[in-house]
Amino acid sequence: MSDATTTPRSRRQARGRYGRVSQVVTEIDERLGVARGGRTFLDKIFPDHWSFMLGEIVLYSFVVLLVTGVFLSLYYVPSATVVTYHGSYLPLDGMPMSQAYASTVNLSFAVRAGLLMRQMHHWAADIFIGSMVVHMARVFFTGAFRKPRELNWTIGVTLLTLAIVNGFLGYSLPDDLVSGTGIRIAYSILLSIPVIGTYLAFWIFGGNFPGTVILERFFILHVLIVPLLMLGLVGAHLALLVRQKHTQFPGEGRREDNVVGSPMFPVFMAKTTGFLLIVAGVIALLGGLAQINPIWQFGPYEASRISYAVQPDWYMGFLDGALRIFPSWSFHSFGHTIPLEVTIPAVVLPGLLFGLAYAWPALERRVTKDNAMHHLLDRPSDRPRRTAAGAAVLALLATLFVASSTDVIANFFHVSLNTVLWTMRVLVLVSPFVAYPIAYRIAKEMHALHGAGRRKTPNVVTRTGEGEYRAEPAPAFADDAEVPLAPTPVPDFIAEEQPAPPPRGTRTTDR
Amino acid sequence: MRATWVLVGAVGLAALSPLRALSVAGAATHPIYQTGRHDAGTPNSDVVTRSHGHITSYGDSAITYSAPPSALKALGYALYLENCATCHGTQANGVPVAGTSGAYPNLVGLGPATIDFWIESGRMPSADPRSVQAPRRPPRLNHRQALAIAAWINSLDPSYPYIPTVHLRGGNVATGMALFALNCAACHTIEGDGDALARSTFAPSLRNIPATQVAEAIRTGPGNMPRFTGNLSDYQVRDIVKFVTTEIQHPRNPGGFGLGGLGPVAEGFVALLLGVAFLALIAFWVGERQ
Repeated sequence: MSDATTTPRSRRQARGRYGRVSQVVTEIDERLGVARGGRTFLDKIFPDHWSFMLGEIVLYSFVVLLVTGVFLSLYYVPSATVVTYHGSYLPLDGMPMSQAYASTVNLSFAVRAGLLMRQMHHWAADIFIGSMVVHMARVFFTGAFRKPRELNWTIGVTLLTLAIVNGFLGYSLPDDLVSGTGIRIAYSILLSIPVIGTYLAFWIFGGNFPGTVILERFFILHVLIVPLLMLGLVGAHLALLVRQKHTQFPGEGRREDNVVGSPMFPVFMAKTTGFLLIVAGVIALLGGLAQINPIWQFGPYEASRISYAVQPDWYMGFLDGALRIFPSWSFHSFGHTIPLEVTIPAVVLPGLLFGLAYAWPALERRVTKDNAMHHLLDRPSDRPRRTAAGAAVLALLATLFVASSTDVIANFFHVSLNTVLWTMRVLVLVSPFVAYPIAYRIAKEMHALHGAGRRKTPNVVTRTGEGEYRAEPAPAFADDAEVPLAPTPVPDFIAEEQPAPPPRGTRTTDR
Repeated sequence: MRATWVLVGAVGLAALSPLRALSVAGAATHPIYQTGRHDAGTPNSDVVTRSHGHITSYGDSAITYSAPPSALKALGYALYLENCATCHGTQANGVPVAGTSGAYPNLVGLGPATIDFWIESGRMPSADPRSVQAPRRPPRLNHRQALAIAAWINSLDPSYPYIPTVHLRGGNVATGMALFALNCAACHTIEGDGDALARSTFAPSLRNIPATQVAEAIRTGPGNMPRFTGNLSDYQVRDIVKFVTTEIQHPRNPGGFGLGGLGPVAEGFVALLLGVAFLALIAFWVGERQ
């Protein structure tokens, strides 16, 4: 078979530097033409600033959510069918409960690593939405949402909404006493919507609360429909990020028309893979060491039972807080009841907040009349009014979150629950108006401060022969000087031929 | 309907009145001090023991209720005068609260279980008789002294329930959990940690309470707590007590650190401070800082 003139070595040399890998890749490229796109992708420049990695926490906790979620879905049974539990957790032995709850208890006690997976899933969800909020705050305070990136901001707000909805759906699935109470509250919130509320609630629950189908419906929404939407939107979010390229903070060599940073391969890829493992590791540590949502202590849900001190997960906390502290106003007339004490805090308030988030880029364009393209970021102190507005909304949300634990606060500090309630009512109304001027002043002061946000240069103190001390600023660091960068150009392995102008009347497209 | 609103308005005004908050009458008429003769736990039981014509104990295989030994009566009276008579009066019928129309509770006819519960849980003698709710404290009187005082008060007008002894051996934890979720969790929380109720009252934690006191509280309804008599049998009370003294007080609790049983609020803080903030710090460490 082998020719006398070819040796293994000569054949290897004929295959080139990357051997068979190169051969396989070439074969693929000749058929699919992936090399050019792949090259562009591998050369994508990522700014190195740490705040750009906040979004990666979101992405990687999403990955953990998908992986652990698949594991959980193998054992969870979304059914309200009543079964009698006989398992290793004795306090529930012989008790009638829904199959959903029984399977979740079994998953926690009888499935190897089941509890770890459940806790990781829950912690990952909490971290997912938490880092989403932090990432959103970064984008907001630095003005990264400005033209041309309004669409990506809109996708991001939609992702946050979907994440909160899916978090609530997942929290509801175990059908324990606490989550059942949560579903009941959600049902009441639906009912409180004027005109369509009752129809909507009956449509979603397939009849009156609790019905028999809600767990199946929540399950398929939680594991298929909402995640699929989110995956698509995450894809669009990232594709837009590649298409529109990154924003960057102003600095040496950084202009509106370039991006300074590290290429996807190898620098960013190594960094981000490490970060993926760190995020997964932190979530696994939390899942293994810190208990979350011990449903076996709560018992199965029955409409006649309720536990005190029930709160939703933290990202729903602002809604719960608003519901708790809102005065009991309602409207009865013309044979209809509109429970304003539910409609306003649980429907109108989140509607306004998310509406504001969606509308913000347009609002800001209208107010500032700034319709230019922006690829260089603001520092928060550059835009005191935007920073102050963001701080006011965050302060409102934070006080509403605290208001969701009025009972915990009252019990912990031994004060009257009524005092806490009234204090929170006042604080919720006051906090945005306190936060706004404070943030505004700080931003103004920082902006006026010379050299704020830049590296400090030391003083050189010398002593003269007469014993006099003299302080002079040290010369600037070499890398602080404003010199344009001369970065290594992106290698151009694929030489493109300029196509000839097409003849009139015909259209061609490049292969 | 209209009358209801008037009533609601009146109650609201009364609740808002600063006078009420300051006056001792407010405290003295607070539900916590409302007392009445206990008709609960009347011997209708499988086993009744009598001595000289008096019932000394009654009950069934779940709970035995025993009277405090009447031999301790004399000691009880001495202790009573020393520790209780200032507020409850020398004849245990309560004295008026100075400057108000209210009075401290009448103890006659309350039954030994009530007296034993308040003394042995350290709530009485109270350090602050005018407080809205007496907190659980290390008891000032020991078990024998509590029995003695109960014996003396019971001798004024013998009444029930007697002091329960719960036979936990036959109890069913699962039934206990179901009954607990139905009857107790609405105030004490399903994890038994207790929580704040309206107007400075609170449902206390059940984490460290002996079986007898749990049964006494269920049967006598101290303070704001409802008195569970007809709707819970001795067997059901035993199941609840068994659940509280085993699964609530020594929960089988895998999954790592319990975060104080505070639920999603604590979990949220951990997720944001340990999770998100820690990961952001790592990003800060890995990324460029300028």
